[in-house]
Amino acid sequence: MKKKILIVDDEKNIRLLLNEELTDEGYEVITAENGAVALKMIDEEKPDLVTLDIKMPGEDGLSVLRKIRETAYDLPVIICSAYSVYKSDFAAVAADHYVVKSSNFNELKGKISEILDYES
Amino acid sequence: MNQSSFAGNQTMALDENMREQLQEVGSADIVIGIPSYNNADTIGRVIKAAELGLAKYFPKNKGVILVSEGGSVEDTLSVIDALQDKHYFENAFIAKPEFETKIMGTKYVGASGKGTAIKAILEAAKLLNAKAGCMLDSDLRSISPEWIELLITPVIKKGFGLVTPYYSRHKYDGTITNMIAYPLTWSLYGRRVRQPIGGDFGFSLELIESLLAKDVWGTDIARFGIDIWMTTVAICENLKICQSYLGAKIHDDKDPGKDLSPMFKQVVGTIFSLMEIYQGKWLEIKGSRPTAIFGFESEVAPKPLEVDSENIVNKFKEGVSKYLHVWEKVMEKENCEKIKEVAKMENSHFELPDELWIKSLFDFVLAYKKHIDGLSPDEIIEALVPIYYARVASFVRKTNNLDSHEAEEVINQQCSIFEKLKPYLVSRWT
Repeated sequence: MKKKILIVDDEKNIRLLLNEELTDEGYEVITAENGAVALKMIDEEKPDLVTLDIKMPGEDGLSVLRKIRETAYDLPVIICSAYSVYKSDFAAVAADHYVVKSSNFNELKGKISEILDYES
Repeated sequence: MNQSSFAGNQTMALDENMREQLQEVGSADIVIGIPSYNNADTIGRVIKAAELGLAKYFPKNKGVILVSEGGSVEDTLSVIDALQDKHYFENAFIAKPEFETKIMGTKYVGASGKGTAIKAILEAAKLLNAKAGCMLDSDLRSISPEWIELLITPVIKKGFGLVTPYYSRHKYDGTITNMIAYPLTWSLYGRRVRQPIGGDFGFSLELIESLLAKDVWGTDIARFGIDIWMTTVAICENLKICQSYLGAKIHDDKDPGKDLSPMFKQVVGTIFSLMEIYQGKWLEIKGSRPTAIFGFESEVAPKPLEVDSENIVNKFKEGVSKYLHVWEKVMEKENCEKIKEVAKMENSHFELPDELWIKSLFDFVLAYKKHIDGLSPDEIIEALVPIYYARVASFVRKTNNLDSHEAEEVINQQCSIFEKLKPYLVSRWT
């Protein structure tokens, strides 16, 4: 059975690009454009892993991460942000990994594969 | 008679007089425990912060504060008596709670040490059928009432079983944590708990019952091993764990180059012993998972801690002549040879590389388990101390010009290397 990944990012292009890349890797991909939608989808769709942007309109990713940890204690979450500065924010330690967005998604794909391999 | 049966055939750490006093109290929602050993100078501040925290954040809950003293209980009781006028409520603009918090002090019964002090508090919490509790170090200087909210709320409102602290500490404070307890908890049990031996933590009744049911109180757990034991039990028994950001931890300084060896032996010995107890768990775990965190990050810089790294290197080098014969028995030949090379380094270029440190530590873990050459557990741990000093000195040199965030990154990278090298340990374990 395919592992399901939820991509949370306010940028449509990033969602499309990541969707394509991760689908090619053999994952089932679902997307959310903000934290509120993401939390609802986590509850309903039960993804195996979440990639989470930080700078989003409305609730920021670190706040969403805190809520995820309250309801889905062990759900793997990878922060995927254009900014490295939030890495030193104490709230980021609740994420499995912190990946800075780059032109290719090799690091992100490596981390996803590492976590989901352990999970299985 | 001052002891009686509690869990199985164990004896209680609470004496009969205190049990009677607690029976008069009847029940409590929250119990705050303060293990102490002659900390009359600082404990008043801790008690006040605890009482104010209960009043401010849990005004409708019945609270008990219990100081579990290993030294002079008379001095502790004098401090408690001096708090009778409660003037500090008005000073802090905090209304007195619906139920006045009962503040009590007792001298625990049993083996002298922090673990027994904590056992007495856990017994009290169980007798009072508390829903939640927290433990606070008695030498804290940076505590505020908010700590009580941060340690208790995740238990009461979010269903966590253990709330560990997350401090802003100076990069050289807590070296046993940074070099051993944190990376081993991360890599063995797969849970990234930043302060697994932090003295300030919250707990649920479920955890209390689980801990008190175990017959371990005659071991080093009854001393400084208590904190790592509690964290490990919580992880291995699948209780939900979180962290609360408490800000800077300012307490009585412990220079890592000064004599920390009793604490080192008890903490490390407990970690090694727990590895045998929970081998069915950690041998199966691959990777690591983060731990939830609550709180608000403040940018309060922790108190600078001066470290004499020259002295620490010298302690390692002195250890070579004293313990080389043990290292040769305990360590893989290749690792021992490299350690000898490190010992010949100039102090100005001193370094114990990550991989050599981790493999050396794993060699000691294995020797501890296998009682190599009839060496006792104490002899093995004692012989590890100089290599630990070498690691501390190496870390101090490497991070000398780094700020606390950068130093934290170095510590986390070290943990990742522990995780990657875990197969070295697993393959040799059985």
